[in-house]
Amino acid sequence: MTKKVCAILLAAVWGLLAVSQLVLPDQEVSDAERRPLVQMPEISVESLLDGSFMADFEDYSLDQFPLRDTFRKIKSLFHYYVLGQSDNNGIYIAGGSAVKQEYPLNESSVNHALERFNYLYDKYLTGSKVYMAIVPDKGYYLAEGSSHLALDYEAMFTAFREGMPWATHIDLTDVLSGEDYYRTDTHWRQENLLDAARKLCNALGVTAPEAEDYTLTQLERPFYGVYYGQAALPMEPDTIYLLESELLKACTVYDYESGKTTAVYDLEKLESKDLYDVFLSGARSLLTIENPNAATDRELIVFRDSFGSSVVPLLLQDYAKVTLLDIRYIQIDLLEQFVEFKGQDVLFLYSTLVLNNSSTIK
Amino acid sequence: MLFSSIPFLYYFLPAVLIVYFLVPWKLKNGVLLLSSLFFYGWGEPKLLFLMVFTVLLFYFCGLAIGRTGEQRWKKFWLAVSVVISIALLGLFKYADFFIGSFNAVAGLSVPLLRLALPVGISFYTFQCLSYTIDVYRDNVPAQKNLISFGAYVALFPQLIAGPIVRYVDVARELDRRTHSWEDFAVGIRRFLLGLGKKVILADNFALLMKLFRESGEKSVLFYWMYAVAFTLNIYFDFSGYSDMAIGLGRVFGFRFIENFNYPYLSKSITEFWRRWHMSLGSWFRDYVYIPLGGNRVSRGRWVCNILAVWMLTGLWHGAAWNFVLWGLLFAAVLLIEKWVPALQKLPNILRHGYVLLIVVLSFVLFNAESMAQAGSNLACMFGFGNLPLTSAPALYYLRSYAPLFAAGFVGSAPVVRDAARKLEQTKLCGVLELALMLGLLLVCTAYLVDGSFSPFLYFRF
Repeated sequence: MTKKVCAILLAAVWGLLAVSQLVLPDQEVSDAERRPLVQMPEISVESLLDGSFMADFEDYSLDQFPLRDTFRKIKSLFHYYVLGQSDNNGIYIAGGSAVKQEYPLNESSVNHALERFNYLYDKYLTGSKVYMAIVPDKGYYLAEGSSHLALDYEAMFTAFREGMPWATHIDLTDVLSGEDYYRTDTHWRQENLLDAARKLCNALGVTAPEAEDYTLTQLERPFYGVYYGQAALPMEPDTIYLLESELLKACTVYDYESGKTTAVYDLEKLESKDLYDVFLSGARSLLTIENPNAATDRELIVFRDSFGSSVVPLLLQDYAKVTLLDIRYIQIDLLEQFVEFKGQDVLFLYSTLVLNNSSTIK
Repeated sequence: MLFSSIPFLYYFLPAVLIVYFLVPWKLKNGVLLLSSLFFYGWGEPKLLFLMVFTVLLFYFCGLAIGRTGEQRWKKFWLAVSVVISIALLGLFKYADFFIGSFNAVAGLSVPLLRLALPVGISFYTFQCLSYTIDVYRDNVPAQKNLISFGAYVALFPQLIAGPIVRYVDVARELDRRTHSWEDFAVGIRRFLLGLGKKVILADNFALLMKLFRESGEKSVLFYWMYAVAFTLNIYFDFSGYSDMAIGLGRVFGFRFIENFNYPYLSKSITEFWRRWHMSLGSWFRDYVYIPLGGNRVSRGRWVCNILAVWMLTGLWHGAAWNFVLWGLLFAAVLLIEKWVPALQKLPNILRHGYVLLIVVLSFVLFNAESMAQAGSNLACMFGFGNLPLTSAPALYYLRSYAPLFAAGFVGSAPVVRDAARKLEQTKLCGVLELALMLGLLLVCTAYLVDGSFSPFLYFRF
């Protein structure tokens, strides 16, 4: 092949990409990255002079590049397999599962969470029976075996035990394993949570769930978790299974944000970009679950993150009412407007991921 | 605009190439000038006037020097171009350094000017100075065509990070140059190799440096990894840019001078500076060192000349004391090498070792944000920072980056070049070259699309 032919073929591919960039329609959102894509910036004398148009155009050209997901995949494959990097954008594959390298322990984040939890306790919870359960992220199980960095989990657990002396601490580390998490996502699999739910229920002193109480329902749509897009590595999607029961079907969930009443498994979210939202409608600031068939009239308040959405349905048997609060989306001082604190059982259920990045807790 | 950016690769460059090769010869320099001003204005819209002013200043001074027959007027117009351009460089780049130093010594608080540093000002000022000096020395006739001269000064391939192309080297090509598929192919290949050096190697070393800076668990090992990573980062960043510049120049029919020749293979610091940023070294040699008398003066004067040139070399890289010290460090080593010939008789491995050690340590000084930080970094590298020898992140990243370090070491030596030359003898060469170039283009694009974006280091100079 002559240099001329070589140059022409190279220029042709280069030109094809350049032309595609110009003629292909712009995309609104990236499903893989779960974010809106930058649109063509407006041009003005001011934006030209201050350089903001140029900066915005750079972002636009990156976001709207043709075959963006394919190119991100090429980069990941090259980075991971050719350059031999142990992680790509902080995500690695261990045991077939994509894991975010959460490292190191963020002490200021832990202290911030503790300060907020103590404020919450002093303001509303003195007199209640309070429990604290930390959900380890999957790095707890998968980092060491794959020689990746992991935060100092023991130091974190100790900090919360010592910083929340008013709570009974429940250790979930021995009832979970790396396989109890979705391979492409950060969350845990509900169908694998019966042991964890039993441990929580035993500590709370309520009836623990048994496998025969539930039937397993598989969602038809494949589940592409949050790491699927971030890792951009070839992975098979996950499958979401729901643990269903007559008791759960009779429960109603009230969403204070939207004013809507839904079921525990929100089937409207079957079309959602994040299929995990099917559990209690995803990220919501304040929900109450009414359980008409509860064995007692006890009530539970759960301060939680998204891990709570899939496990709380398994704690319902004895509770007539469960209130779920996500204080990342609602100010602690505003809670009294919506919730009457009257000595209910209280469970703090937080993942290590949120506790290590707690600036979002208000 | 960065070469390693989607707007450059997929908007600007294809558009300029199409227009450039479609227009007749007499319009080609005009296309280059306009596209270069657009290229510069994209990143520095408010400082475009400075570029235009510089072009006009040197154009008219060059004409005046060329036209006048009287030596004193030649000298006058040369002085005008030198004084004004150095004053502008001083104002934009060095004013705050001198004010800050004066404040520190005098205990005053004269307010800093805080002017934005025009990108590439050190490069294009030095290029322009070479022009009027060479016209003054009758090495080259003045350029009468403003568009051709403007195209030389603003020429986007080498505008903002070199090599420092002297007018005398491209004067003929500005007025008459040829284009061929051979030049196009060779130029694009060189450009893509440079892009690969920048995007795949330099930017990934930069990522390791970022991880180091953000880590709360530093160790002696981590500090050394940081120092070696920066040594490789700056080489692949800067030589990658030079490759891209030389390659683009070739596409447009120019032959720019080489700027790097595997500097990390050097067996002395003297040799290192013959291989590193060669266009700057030869510029200082021809326009400062030799006019000062070079080595044909008394020993004391010669030492002063060496110190002056290397202090200026340091200052050229940045307006801070660590750059001055960096330059003087090299001056000291160069003097030692000249005074202690026994160094040249050491085994090669020792000579390589001491050069690499000095270069790595010098870049720690170079890359520090202050003298205090430079001292602290060097102390930590030698175990005086109360740090453990290793730490978990250092070991993790050492394992993770081992292949990249290996690629960096191999890429710093002419192994790849020699292999490519052997390959050129085979029949498969064309197919393999096409596959490699396409692969480089797609992988570099993939890195850019994924957002691994970092500006070229040498832009700040």
